[in-house]
Amino acid sequence: MQRAEMERAIEELHPASYGWALSCCGRNREEAEEVLQNVYVKILDGKARFNGRSSLKTWLFAVIRHTAISQSRRRALGELLTAKWARREIVRVATMPDAAAETSQVCAGLVDALRKLARRQREVLELVFYHDMTIEEAAAAMHVSIGAARVHYQRGKKQLLAQMNGNR
Amino acid sequence: MNDDLLRQAFAELRRVEAEQAPKFVVPALRVRDHLKPVLRLAFAALLLIIIILSFRRPPEPSITAWKAPTDFLLATPGRELLQSTPDLKGIRR
Repeated sequence: MQRAEMERAIEELHPASYGWALSCCGRNREEAEEVLQNVYVKILDGKARFNGRSSLKTWLFAVIRHTAISQSRRRALGELLTAKWARREIVRVATMPDAAAETSQVCAGLVDALRKLARRQREVLELVFYHDMTIEEAAAAMHVSIGAARVHYQRGKKQLLAQMNGNR
Repeated sequence: MNDDLLRQAFAELRRVEAEQAPKFVVPALRVRDHLKPVLRLAFAALLLIIIILSFRRPPEPSITAWKAPTDFLLATPGRELLQSTPDLKGIRR
């Protein structure tokens, strides 16, 4: 795929990619934007190549997920070394209510319930419900087997519904 | 709450977050990355030149100009006496 063609394709997917990056970064906007920029640079520089084995969206989401995880690991390690962990937690807790206030009550409830799920359960549910992917596509984006994705989906959905009904 | 309501809640979240999405900006190619192949080539060429220069043999001296490196050992004290004939005229009668 040529660079211009790829640019157009990722521009079309940009809103969905941003939503997925937000999900991978615990709904931290700054981190999500940074991850997305790094992903675009990786793709346009040819460091991440689309080989056509899945849909472009599935592949792009896998790259975003991988980049977000490695960036989060690097950041955590850096903060551990510089003993900034405690300060970061305080900042994050302080910014959460502001972000939640901007969304409606339903969204805030959903986001809170999603935060309480395990990472893979949250990921599969967001890929299926938020991004309208099939469980097979979600499994490919998450680099897990379809069976594992189904289990995460079932358990996650059950817990999410319980959380949301409990919040009501 | 069933699947449909869950879908609605996610759709609402997607709508809200899509509105907050930053504008798509094409990231410019980093100059450093762009120059990487050129820099690599230049480095390889420099390395090659250094290797060639360090392994190059010095020019061989001419055979007529050659001198044994242990020649100085032959210059022993009193050697000049052996190289000349002693003058015995003075002691003849």
